[in-house]
Amino acid sequence: MNRRRFVTFSTSSIAAAALGACDSFGPKRATSLLKLAERKNEGLERWLFDSGSRNRVAAGARLSGRSFPRYFISDAMPVWNEAQRGVWRLEVGGAVRNPLSLTLDDLMKMRSTTQKVDHFCVEGWTARAEWTGVRMSELARAAGVTPDAQYVDFQSFDSDYHECWDIDSALHPQTLVAYGMDRAMLGPGHGAPARVHSPVKLGYKNTKYLTRILFLPTRSGGYWSDRGYEWYGGV
Amino acid sequence: MTTASGQSLGGSDGRVELAPGPGNGEPSAAIQRARRPRHHWVVRVTHWVNFIALGLMITTGLRIFNAYPAFARKGESFCCYPFAGKPIPGVLTFGGWLAGARNYHFAAMWLLFVNGLVYVTFIYLHGEWRDLVPRRGDIRDSWEMVKFYLFARRDHPHQGKHNALQKSAYFAMPIFGALAVVTGLAIWKPVQLAPLTNLLGGYVWARYWHFLVMLCLVMLTVVHVIMVFAVDPYSIRSMITGGYNEAKSPEARNARPFFWRRSSATVPPSDGGFDR
Repeated sequence: MNRRRFVTFSTSSIAAAALGACDSFGPKRATSLLKLAERKNEGLERWLFDSGSRNRVAAGARLSGRSFPRYFISDAMPVWNEAQRGVWRLEVGGAVRNPLSLTLDDLMKMRSTTQKVDHFCVEGWTARAEWTGVRMSELARAAGVTPDAQYVDFQSFDSDYHECWDIDSALHPQTLVAYGMDRAMLGPGHGAPARVHSPVKLGYKNTKYLTRILFLPTRSGGYWSDRGYEWYGGV
Repeated sequence: MTTASGQSLGGSDGRVELAPGPGNGEPSAAIQRARRPRHHWVVRVTHWVNFIALGLMITTGLRIFNAYPAFARKGESFCCYPFAGKPIPGVLTFGGWLAGARNYHFAAMWLLFVNGLVYVTFIYLHGEWRDLVPRRGDIRDSWEMVKFYLFARRDHPHQGKHNALQKSAYFAMPIFGALAVVTGLAIWKPVQLAPLTNLLGGYVWARYWHFLVMLCLVMLTVVHVIMVFAVDPYSIRSMITGGYNEAKSPEARNARPFFWRRSSATVPPSDGGFDR
């Protein structure tokens, strides 16, 4: 009986203490444990990552077309204003021997790739589109990335939106700097003039309204990564 | 005093038949069996860890689901989910928001996985699997249990540690747990583990299977909890301290869900058994 009372008492005390330490996001103490799990998961995900992996979509597969969600964080749809900001350029810099500053024409003159792939949103939905653009690995070669570059930060003109990737995912053959979508030029709802698109990262890692690609020896954060979403966000 | 199989435990007249123990004062095998906890401490610990892990996985999973409470790929339709667009009630979810729920989900998955692995490995090495693995007669025995529960049969069917319906439920639990892990991996890594995801019919279907497996786990759990309270509340103690009084087993009490007495008149109270 004593033991029974002890078990009842201790279980209810533990439950009460756990509930007391909770807010709507759960026990505050759990945060460090969750961070640890995220780091360990990133290790596993990096180990699982294979640059030979491919997201394959059947040639005849239906595309999402106008149902492909549009999304940005600014109050109004970000549109590059040439009169105010001059000609749009994509800067490729950081840990590179040969920094680039490319106009849309320059980008379109580079060897292009067109691919029909899935888009995996963190919310759980997927959409399909056919993207046209330049492989990130192609841009990295043109810029002469130095061996100390381990991370890539993709920056935009959609307020302060940016997201940082590990270099392996950035150089995956299906990671594009895309300027075309579904055989047309990229629309302002989808990140015109150019955006990152890759099936190997969740949607929020695929920065739209691209302005700058920065190769880095250490990682930086990102808009959603700083707000609680996983930094790695691999698929 | 006799053992379950009816052999004498005394043997004081020198005619030693089936000597009870190796030395004097050593309790007989039958008494040792009676004093052994109904559930090994590893089973009891993994049971409650699983309760926490599964609870976290289901509530955070439902919060993640609410970010897109549907299955169709954008621009397509999905045949088999009539509640598309209707979120799960907030009280059933945990994590606060999508990122919070995801962080919990991807941490608690390790608790669920490691705990499940410990449990399955333990019952394999320690022999408890014998009480759970289905046998040929189980279908017939299950039918007899159903008849008994529906008052179409007077007496409780004879059973081992569990009745045939319990056995199938407890056997199914780790299988559905493993399916939850496999379908979960397929939607976590649909590109890096593309062959697995394709095997399940692609991302959209894999996500659907993950959801259905969750529903099966919820149903197994709900029925399990109801039956514990409705048929054998004495088993709650057996899952905490290990103690169990066989005289109060559902078979001894001829217990149907919600229809049973505290102890059976036909079975005398236990002579001690394991009671702590």
